Amino acid sequence: MTLSVENGCFSYRRGRPILRNIHFSVGPGDIAAILGPNGAGKTTLLRCAMGFLPWSRGRSCLDGTDIRSIPHRRLWQNIAYVPQAKNTALPSYTVEQMILLGRSSRIALLAKPGGKDLEKAGEVMEKLGITRLKDKKCSELSGGELQMTLIARALVSQPKVLILDEPESNLDFKNQLLVLEAMSALAAEGMSCVFNTHYPAHALQRANKALLLGSRGGPVFGETHSIVTEKNIELAFGVRAVIGELETPERVLPDVVPLCLSGGEAPEPGGGTGREGPRLAAVTILAGEKSAAEEAGKILRGCRDFTVGRMDLPCPGRRVTAESVVLDAPENTIRELLYRLNRLPGISVKAVFQPNEKRTENSCKE
Amino acid sequence: MKQTDSLGGLSWRDRAVLIALPVLAVFVTLAIGRMGLSPLEVLKTVGNRISGHAAADPRADAVVFSIRMPRILLALLVGAGLSVAGCAFQSLFSNPLATPDTLGVASGASFGAALALLLGFNLIGVQVLAFACGVAAVFLAWLSGSGRGGINTIILAGIMIGSLFSALVSLVKFTADTESQLPAITYWLMGSLNSAGYSSLALGAPPILAGILILYLLRWRMNLLPLPEDDARATGTNLRLLRALTVICATGITASCVSMCGQVGWVGLLVPHICRMKFGSNHMALVPASIFAGSAFMVIVDTVARSATSAEIPVSILTALVGAPFFIVLMRRTEGWQL
Repeated sequence: MTLSVENGCFSYRRGRPILRNIHFSVGPGDIAAILGPNGAGKTTLLRCAMGFLPWSRGRSCLDGTDIRSIPHRRLWQNIAYVPQAKNTALPSYTVEQMILLGRSSRIALLAKPGGKDLEKAGEVMEKLGITRLKDKKCSELSGGELQMTLIARALVSQPKVLILDEPESNLDFKNQLLVLEAMSALAAEGMSCVFNTHYPAHALQRANKALLLGSRGGPVFGETHSIVTEKNIELAFGVRAVIGELETPERVLPDVVPLCLSGGEAPEPGGGTGREGPRLAAVTILAGEKSAAEEAGKILRGCRDFTVGRMDLPCPGRRVTAESVVLDAPENTIRELLYRLNRLPGISVKAVFQPNEKRTENSCKE
Repeated sequence: MKQTDSLGGLSWRDRAVLIALPVLAVFVTLAIGRMGLSPLEVLKTVGNRISGHAAADPRADAVVFSIRMPRILLALLVGAGLSVAGCAFQSLFSNPLATPDTLGVASGASFGAALALLLGFNLIGVQVLAFACGVAAVFLAWLSGSGRGGINTIILAGIMIGSLFSALVSLVKFTADTESQLPAITYWLMGSLNSAGYSSLALGAPPILAGILILYLLRWRMNLLPLPEDDARATGTNLRLLRALTVICATGITASCVSMCGQVGWVGLLVPHICRMKFGSNHMALVPASIFAGSAFMVIVDTVARSATSAEIPVSILTALVGAPFFIVLMRRTEGWQL
């Protein structure tokens, strides 16, 4: 299912507009990240998109139907919301009881959960690896455990769209990974995911779409790598940052490192990302699983138009397929392709780009 | 506590104890009073009635069925009703200090009763007007408090409406005749179950029973009430409907209780908290536990009130005297209060 917001505007009564001209959409398999400085209205945006707050102008749609015209119960069978895990004053229900509350949209008002609901709750706990917490009280959970429980509560209603409010905030490294991995896995199964985040790096690593709020040029939405750029980060956050790449033996991960507060003269909004020009790149892929290799082949066949050369090197003894492709395309297109390949499970991908004199390192001279 | 039920319901042992408590209390208290009867005599009298035989002892029959039975039935209803209403309001407002009176229902009903006494209505008239004014007070509070402000605004509005009606009660008292009307009003306001009769029960019991039944059926869904508002709405529950149903049931129950026996304080605060400490805050256990524990508590306290001394002690005084120390002991022995 596709959740979209069309021309969303919001202001509190007698207040300055908080959100203006919001456009975005997430379809099956998409992960959309919503970024922006504190107070830019990220949570407000999610609350408006779900109908908790009324848009002053514009609308939210589910598969093209205005959500205000969808009956409450039907709407929440299709979308689910994961609130930020706050441990304050939670009732002392067990994890299983808390998860079962998520089945409300599928249970009659005066009824209680039955065998099927219990079964579903068990499945979801199994899937997220929290079965061991089943009988623990919610008030005694750690932040990470609570966040996983809340995700389970959202999933138990079998939604098609998942909306997460800062799911990885206040969590340690490992729990952040657990939450983000869970989200990626769900998207790979066809879920449409939207999440708020304070980490541009998480947007770059996980999301294929991004919405950036708080920028002077208005909100911008699009492919993550064209939205989360050094320039846009400076415009929205007032921080000079470097988007670099972390190289592991298997793959290259994008990362964002903040350098310093930007000085007086901020860059002009608009203009390109400096990545529109055609470049030559050599991409090497090692696929451990057969399904991943086939999936990668499918993606590469879609790029035939700008493929200079392609080489398949099956290594049957090692159960690994190696591929080498040389592409001639705008850098944006190549990065988009790399992103899609990187999302496949059990795959190693790296690209080497032709030297480019135009791009110089951004440094803080002040 | 062992809970055999994964939804958090009561274990079979707890269920047996909770059902046995009020039943036992009824049989024991039927025997207690000015005219002493042994439990065996009570059993015989009840047995005769049920099997349709002529009463062996007409005097015992009259005492049991005309005097004690309606009062005990009233105590059962009021105890169960106020407890479950208090429990519902505490969860609805996520506030441990919420009582059945939080939205002003008791003040409204008191005003209705005082007004009816001032106008010289009969007992049934007093009951009807009290009920109507209690419901009207909550309706006013809900109307003035609901809007964008959320649930705390409704509590504030309820407290305001409550004090408004308290002032109106004082006004009625001020204008009442000090010889006959004022004592009647004052006595009524203190709360007593001694006006119990089958006709007043026939009028007052249906709202209480219906309210208890609906809250009992809603018990799983009521677990959503203490959650943050967005969380509860995102589960796909019509939160406005759930809240409205809870308020309507709790109000109907409380207005009907107050209209029959005046302001019986404390029960709606004490019993739900005691049940929370013992059975946790899952409504699957909490709602039935409050119903049964509340009814047993009220029957016992009312029996003490009517038979401890030759003059009747107002039941509110006793609920506080018995309940508060018991509550404190329990609070110190368990982990304390949790929602």
